[in-house]
Amino acid sequence: MAKNLSGDLQVASANRLVDGMVVWLDEAGQWTDRLEHAAVARDKRGAEFLLERARVEAFSVVDPFLVAVAEDEDGTIEPLSLREKIRASGLTFDAIAADAVRYA
Amino acid sequence: MPDTHFYRYDGYDRTLVSERVDQFRDQVRRRLAGELTEEQFKPLRLHNGLYLQLHAYMLRIAIPYGTLSSRQLRKLADISRKYDRGYGHFTTRQNLQLNWIKLEDAPDALAALAEVDMHAMQTSGNCIRNVTADHYAGAAIDEIEDPRIWAEIVRQWSTLHPEFTFLPRKFKIAITGSPNDRVAVRVHDIGLRLWRNGQGEVGFEVIVGGGLGRTPMIGKTLREFLPKDELLAYLEATLRVYNRYGRRDNLYKARIKILVHEVGVEKMREEVEAEYAATRDGALKLPAATIEAIARQFAPPVLSPRPAVSGRVVAQRLDDPDFALWLKSNVAPHRVPGYAIVTASLKPAGAPPGDASAAQMDGVADIAEAYSQAELRVSHEQNLIFPHVAVEDLPQVYRSLAALGFAEANVGKITDIIACPGLDYCALANARSIPVAQRISNHFASIARQHDIGDLKIKISGCINACGHHHVGHIGILGVDKNGVELYQISLGGDVDFGRTAIGSILGPAVTADKVVEAVDAIVTTYLDARRDGERFVDTYRRIGAQPFKERVYAAV
Repeated sequence: MAKNLSGDLQVASANRLVDGMVVWLDEAGQWTDRLEHAAVARDKRGAEFLLERARVEAFSVVDPFLVAVAEDEDGTIEPLSLREKIRASGLTFDAIAADAVRYA
Repeated sequence: MPDTHFYRYDGYDRTLVSERVDQFRDQVRRRLAGELTEEQFKPLRLHNGLYLQLHAYMLRIAIPYGTLSSRQLRKLADISRKYDRGYGHFTTRQNLQLNWIKLEDAPDALAALAEVDMHAMQTSGNCIRNVTADHYAGAAIDEIEDPRIWAEIVRQWSTLHPEFTFLPRKFKIAITGSPNDRVAVRVHDIGLRLWRNGQGEVGFEVIVGGGLGRTPMIGKTLREFLPKDELLAYLEATLRVYNRYGRRDNLYKARIKILVHEVGVEKMREEVEAEYAATRDGALKLPAATIEAIARQFAPPVLSPRPAVSGRVVAQRLDDPDFALWLKSNVAPHRVPGYAIVTASLKPAGAPPGDASAAQMDGVADIAEAYSQAELRVSHEQNLIFPHVAVEDLPQVYRSLAALGFAEANVGKITDIIACPGLDYCALANARSIPVAQRISNHFASIARQHDIGDLKIKISGCINACGHHHVGHIGILGVDKNGVELYQISLGGDVDFGRTAIGSILGPAVTADKVVEAVDAIVTTYLDARRDGERFVDTYRRIGAQPFKERVYAAV
């Protein structure tokens, strides 16, 4: 499926103050832990506005910043960089569970 | 359960730690209430070991000189279960990192630590960090003196030292009391090596200006022989010179290694000795009674005489080849006949190096209580050590460790990999480390093959900060980001053995993540083809040079 890989599309992200979890700013100006709900800026001006809004709404988060994303034809967005993919999706290996005594 | 054979907090220590917990609790409250900005709060949380990483806060807990009681390890397990996700990561500074702490829980986690005389101070920031020491301390057969006595003295001197709380950069000290260096003294800001001179006196060789990171350097001898009671005054003089002249204009040139490199060790020595001459007979000249009082707390356990040879061990060694290999790689001789030092490998095949679940931590604490005087050590190679195990108990310890998944007979072998958390956790990393370590570990999982390959240390860092010590790996692997793609730069020939410390040389162009295993396999095959009888990998490399390895690797990838 074709993707927009130009890097023009951006979302605003941050870590939640209370627990450090990854969040994104949605259209309503709320921080969400679901990337699919993130507001997408589609040009430079939109991105500047989005970042400014994120900073205004930063009371409950730490250090908002912009993340370049790609968008599928069906509207699914995905970060371009590996770092942001890992922030969005979590560890790329299985962490051991608290009660585990053996590795699979 | 026996009492611990290492330093026990007194009222002063407990008050200091308890007051710090209360102080941090109030700082967190004010941050959550919006009374402190992140800019104001960040240095406060870092002073308490609380980082903000990719996905969450990370709490780095200090384990002074890598020594733990079973009670303390149980508490770490409890804290990981209650406030984190039930596991922790033992680090190359003998510390423990919990990767999913919530800010709102951090004060409670610190309060729980304080219950067992632990804290997270000075595990971050431009201060003197947790002092590391030989993980065989107090048990090693080659030990001249227990380095932890001096590590504790340094800990007390450096804790919240007002003059050294805002150094140009962080400052790392390691101490060994044995001629066989197990703490990498030559790649620390200051390395201290206890040795006996021709007159039979024991003192320190003071090594300065070593380090890894962006600019790896091997430390130089600042003082060949320093009388022990002069240690603090001499350290203070050295830190004072660094604090005065260390570069604060450039983050990447702020470590003491750059100062030593720029002015030369002779000039550095001149400055330190001048400072020292003015202060040497002051308050930091330690009275013998003070040293003795601390030394008494490290008095070795009374180990009842045991047979040096156990029929049970001999029988199992003959019956069980895995046990026989474990004895060879994971068991070291003890200073007391009939006892041994056992390393629990936190590197099961395919596992994240240095990680332990809460259940595993509890299990290790059980074993320590049953068989090792309730004492444990954390090694800078990210394993756990039982320092005092009776030889006749080795089969039971092996079985108990096997049940935990920590009996891999791979200590010092190719899968005993040091790896930093890398891009899966770390906000500074450029590439992943743990998945690379896992792939190499799975590829070389055969213990018999690992023993055939022999001693070979792989160290992996996810960025140039070199937390995975890649510069001093026999095979070093550095993850880099090139236009959004993870690439891995391979270096060969690094070493931390005393007298042979070397920074590895880059082999050639970096390889893609999916080619790292092939590259390592080609390196190992080249070694196996070229080695002479009994020759370690790094010795073969030194003898034949990089070219044969380079040809094989770049033909393979």
